[in-house]
Amino acid sequence: MAEERLRVVIAEDYYLLREGLRQLLEECRLVEVVAAVGTADELLAAVDRLRPDGVITDIRMPPGHRTEGIAAAHAIRTSHPGTGVVILSQHANESYVFDLFQHGTDGLAYLLKERVGELDQLLRAVREVVAGRSVIDPRIVEVLLRTHSRAADAPLAALTQRESEVLRHMAEGKTNRAIAGALHLADSTVEKHVNAVFTKLGLSEETNLHRRVSAVLAYLHHTYAPEP
Amino acid sequence: MAWKGGLSPGKAAPDTGEVILKGLLIRTVAVVGGSCLAYAAFVGTFVLQNRYTLPWILGSVLPCYLAGLFAVRHAPSSPVARRLLLVGAWLSLNITVQYTNRWLLMEADQVRPLLAVTQLTQITALVASVLMVRLLALLPDGTYRFSYERVVLRLLWALLALPVVLPALGVAPRTTHLVVFYYPEAWLPGCGAVLLVIRCLLSRRATGVPPERAEASSGKLLTVVCAGALVLLARASSRLFRAWQGDEGYLYFIGTVLGALPYILTSLVVVYAAFRYRILGVDIPVRRSVVYGILWLIISLWYLGMAITLGLTAVQYFPIGFALLVAVLSTALFQPLRTRLNRLARRWVFGRRPSGFELLTQFGTTLGNAHDLARLAPQLASELRSGLGLGWVEVRLRAPGVSDAVYGRAGARQGGKAGSHPLRYGEEVLGVIEFGLKDGGRMTDEDYHVLRSLAQQAVLAVHNVHLNAELTLRVGEVQQQAVELDASRARIVQAQDTERRRIARRLHDGLQQQLVTLLVKARLARVRLQHGGDVDAALAEVQDDLYRAVEELRDLAQGIHPPVLSDQGLVAAVTSCARRLPLPVSLQVQPGLEGTRFTTETEESAFYLVSEALTNVLKHAGARTVVLRLALERDHLVIEVSDDGHGRAAVPRSGSGLAAMRDRVEAVGGRFDIHSAPGRGTVINARLTALPRETPQTVKERING
Repeated sequence: MAEERLRVVIAEDYYLLREGLRQLLEECRLVEVVAAVGTADELLAAVDRLRPDGVITDIRMPPGHRTEGIAAAHAIRTSHPGTGVVILSQHANESYVFDLFQHGTDGLAYLLKERVGELDQLLRAVREVVAGRSVIDPRIVEVLLRTHSRAADAPLAALTQRESEVLRHMAEGKTNRAIAGALHLADSTVEKHVNAVFTKLGLSEETNLHRRVSAVLAYLHHTYAPEP
Repeated sequence: MAWKGGLSPGKAAPDTGEVILKGLLIRTVAVVGGSCLAYAAFVGTFVLQNRYTLPWILGSVLPCYLAGLFAVRHAPSSPVARRLLLVGAWLSLNITVQYTNRWLLMEADQVRPLLAVTQLTQITALVASVLMVRLLALLPDGTYRFSYERVVLRLLWALLALPVVLPALGVAPRTTHLVVFYYPEAWLPGCGAVLLVIRCLLSRRATGVPPERAEASSGKLLTVVCAGALVLLARASSRLFRAWQGDEGYLYFIGTVLGALPYILTSLVVVYAAFRYRILGVDIPVRRSVVYGILWLIISLWYLGMAITLGLTAVQYFPIGFALLVAVLSTALFQPLRTRLNRLARRWVFGRRPSGFELLTQFGTTLGNAHDLARLAPQLASELRSGLGLGWVEVRLRAPGVSDAVYGRAGARQGGKAGSHPLRYGEEVLGVIEFGLKDGGRMTDEDYHVLRSLAQQAVLAVHNVHLNAELTLRVGEVQQQAVELDASRARIVQAQDTERRRIARRLHDGLQQQLVTLLVKARLARVRLQHGGDVDAALAEVQDDLYRAVEELRDLAQGIHPPVLSDQGLVAAVTSCARRLPLPVSLQVQPGLEGTRFTTETEESAFYLVSEALTNVLKHAGARTVVLRLALERDHLVIEVSDDGHGRAAVPRSGSGLAAMRDRVEAVGGRFDIHSAPGRGTVINARLTALPRETPQTVKERING
């Protein structure tokens, strides 16, 4: 896994954080920071020039300080499908996640900014997106699940506690194996729970792991989307 | 005197026999008087060829007789009417006797008449004068009020003895000192006037509170009578001169002119007072124009008589050409007098009638009250009525803000409607004027012109009142708004201050404390590094605390301003807000609204409203579900939050949450309504002016295009 260090570009307008992050990543020696930039434009230019494996980018950057990171992620995924993008965001709000995943979930991750303190989580997210999968911050998955389990008649209420846990991990983008590891379960048990979740939520079973987050997210999003 | 002590109108009805007898007598007197008048006019003019016949008949006898007829016809039971007719008839009889006497003398070719005939003539003249006195002295009602009156008036009959007694005593007619007794008719009318003056004064003093009508009539009569007394004194003196100088010369002329006056004046006064003050005891059911016509006739006859007298007198003394000139001049001289008298009569009958111009001016000042329709309407009605002499006038004006018209009326509504005139301002009908028949005639073009002018002024006034009412209403609204605005602004400022204090508190008591603690923990890690200890555990604690600090900070920032609102717009922010509510929220968002962005102000107000409303539902409503509806109706963003909670009977206009919501909505020119009833939940409805906003250019757009 670590034989070849992943080449990563980081984008963060706050200089101290940018340098700290670069230092952190380089010191753990698992990734190579090929560029550290301060704006979305610079990020796009760097990606075009360096063609990195992954990008870690802040969500708010000059000039607008809005969601330039998300826009850049979409642009990168369009022009360089092989480059995964991790968004670091200070917003624990699912709206941004839906915004990020509006064209597809592949190769995209949405993490809260404080995850830089959990280096493992950050590195896992980078590896997942480089592999084309997706990751959602557990905090956001929690909000979504909490919302949906509230209504008494919601399908989520029909899930057992274990199935709910499995669902949360699925939404976070974890593989069955990772879920099994996190919950200390056997792979087959996890698989069984995953199937139960899909059935109870009325989703067509998604065997392709790449699409699984997408399906779960779509469910979580659209059952709460504004009524047409 | 057949009717001495006749019935006054207030007494009980006489028995029928007496009534028939009296009716017969009245007719006889009238017929005799009329016949004598015709006879005397014929004899005087054609047989005696006396040039003063016609003036005398026209100037005094005929008016008096006609006035008597008029009065008796309308009030047969009134003593005044009967006396007036009797005076007229007796005057006719008097000249009949005179003329017959002269005629007989002329036929007999004698110069001096027999003594008995002379005495008869004098007695008839005296009787006429006494009758006149009795008529005058007992005005206005014709009954005895005081005992002295009866005595004095009866004693007057004793004067009739003078023409017999004086010659018997050997007193010559022209004896200077006794001429007064030879010609009592010269001063007798004056005596009547004096008696009437005394009667009026005594009446006023005697009765503590005389009836208003009697008061008014005696007051007016007093003036007339005083003037009459002066004239009568002059007449008396002229008569005395005539007695000395014979029936020729200018004194005779003056005597004739003045001699007619008592009869004319008395006739005028009685006819006028009969109409105006009911002195005959009945309401005379004739139109004012008829009364005026009679007065006019009397005045005209007198004028004619005087003019002829003047002309004839002139012919006697001057050459014919000059005499003609005098005649013409005299006619011209008397004309203004006649006009003046006529105008006076008209005013007496119809009351003072302002001209059209006066009416407009007068109404113009009335318009000072124009703000008060309840006063304007009756004033307009009464001024129209008095100005145009209408029987009745009704005015209806449409008052602003009420359905009932303001109503004003002058005169009792009797008889048919003669016409109506709408009050229009442009197409708008602001009222109507209705009026009855005009007293004494038809409406002239000038009357209609005055009516239209007044109506137009009234329309402007009413329209002004309407404008004023509207203005007052608007000003009231604006003032109310200003007051509310002030209060709302104060509340907003207060809310902002409270919010700032809350944030400051969270920063000081929360974050700052956490950071200081972190400082301590970092220091602890360093101490352990130097002196040995579990450095990793200390740093892990620092990290955990930092997570909490970041979380706290995010919460705080979210509370100050949700970033998703500015980044993704209202629907995303509202959706996310609804998700975090521990209640199922049904979101009904109009299709196409999701991507729509509005001005920052609108979005913030809308979001604030929704989050406050949801918080309220959570806190107070006890609801199980909430429905949140967002829609764009034309250029208004409609937000509706309805819950199935227990609702409330009365929605307080001010109350922490609701007032703040209302303030917030109204501050951006929106409308805010709450509907709530116990057991039926609460619905909050707000409409905000929603101006779409251009989406700021994003990186994506810059990249793609």
